[in-house]
Amino acid sequence: MSVNEKFSGIRKGMLEFLVLQIIAAEKVYVADILKQLSVTEFATQEGTLYPLLSKMRREGLLDYEWKESEAGPPRKYYQLTAKGREQLRETLEYWVKINGTVNKLGQI
Amino acid sequence: MNKVISVNLGGMAYQLEEGGYDALGAYLETAAARLRNNPDRDEILSDIEGAIGEKFRELLSSHKTVIQTKEVTAVLAEMGPIEVDSGEAEHQGAGGTADGARGQKTVGDEQAAGRGGTPRRLYRIHEGAMIAGVCNGIGAYANVDPTLVRLAFVALTLLWGAGLLVYIVLAIVVPEARSAEEKAAASGFPATAQEFIRRAKEGYYEAMKGFPDRRARREWNRRFNREMRANAEKWRYNWHSYWAERAPVHPAMGIVLPFLSLLQGAATVLWICALVSLLATGTLLGLALPPNVPLWLAALLLFVAYGILVGPLKAARRSCYRSCGGQGWTWSFVFLLDAMIWLAAVAVLLWLVSHYIPELREAIRSIPPLAHQALQDIQAWWK
Repeated sequence: MSVNEKFSGIRKGMLEFLVLQIIAAEKVYVADILKQLSVTEFATQEGTLYPLLSKMRREGLLDYEWKESEAGPPRKYYQLTAKGREQLRETLEYWVKINGTVNKLGQI
Repeated sequence: MNKVISVNLGGMAYQLEEGGYDALGAYLETAAARLRNNPDRDEILSDIEGAIGEKFRELLSSHKTVIQTKEVTAVLAEMGPIEVDSGEAEHQGAGGTADGARGQKTVGDEQAAGRGGTPRRLYRIHEGAMIAGVCNGIGAYANVDPTLVRLAFVALTLLWGAGLLVYIVLAIVVPEARSAEEKAAASGFPATAQEFIRRAKEGYYEAMKGFPDRRARREWNRRFNREMRANAEKWRYNWHSYWAERAPVHPAMGIVLPFLSLLQGAATVLWICALVSLLATGTLLGLALPPNVPLWLAALLLFVAYGILVGPLKAARRSCYRSCGGQGWTWSFVFLLDAMIWLAAVAVLLWLVSHYIPELREAIRSIPPLAHQALQDIQAWWK
């Protein structure tokens, strides 16, 4: 099993965290999120992202508004709610902690 | 040369080769199945449709108006399978979790899981119903065409009148499927996905999306259902007129008409007498009822029997009218005459009956309290 495969579960679990971070920066629509992720190890597809976004919206982490696009029908632009920002802050803190642990362990 | 099929995605029309259309249908069906327990299912599906449409648009130009099968496949591969995350999978029941362990699934597996996973329950289904949705619900529950169920009910009604009774009881007892979950439970997954595909084809979700508020959405929903019902109505009308046109046409029918009316009048009187004697004495014109048949059931059966007896007579009279329809004044004359004869027959027979059978006259007087008694019987039975 390659490292890539071993980490598939972790990548999946972290996707929500990354999506929060992307949306926190600016209002985005789904193609923007996919594009930003596509150049990373976390590249994903609409089939995964839409259900995830709908779940996050249900949990009150994000919200969307319809915006006209220059060509074609209007698009959904996502933005974080206060709860989403709070969640992102907590997750970032936790991430730093884990990161520290990973680096520290075994060095004593 | 390939056949081309138009689809509506995100409010835009796209032309797909037939193979691509099938692939898209299968993809959406699988998606609908995997999202069957998701409260935002419709919204996600409409998002997915929109995203597919956007990808299709990038493939088109002024020189290229049709999307090829291989392009559809490529776009669907780019979309990726619908993944429901682990948190969601938990309340999918046994079927869902087993699927998760297996990873990639085929549509067939998904259907099997849908049958095992969602507990199926009997509901009345209002969409596409003829009366109260009972047959529709049974059809979905047993996975058979509701038309077959309807035919079975009609056959039962014609044979023993039981079909009508069972229908009424079911219409009262069986709850109506209202929420998405109940609708899914009414059929297990397959029929709901079919329903979804059917609706998607008719542009149902597309139009839904465009409405800003709940009220506009509900109004649209109502209109959609009304249109579906109107289609059914039209079909029924065609069926009726088909038979009417086939009815033999002969001038002599104008002569037969009064006799038919007499017969129907006699049947009506017989029915009234039977009903009165049933309510008054508990017997059917002197014949005792079987011991385990309650009064109200017998009355109901009497209604059904009357309907069966008079139905063909009515139909025959109608076709007679039609055959005389050529000449205007004859038609109205025959119609008038017929109605008079019918009324006269009923009046005369009723008078004769009440004159020669005093018990019956007494019975007619005692109907109101008896009707009250029958109502109480039904209430007692219901409790």
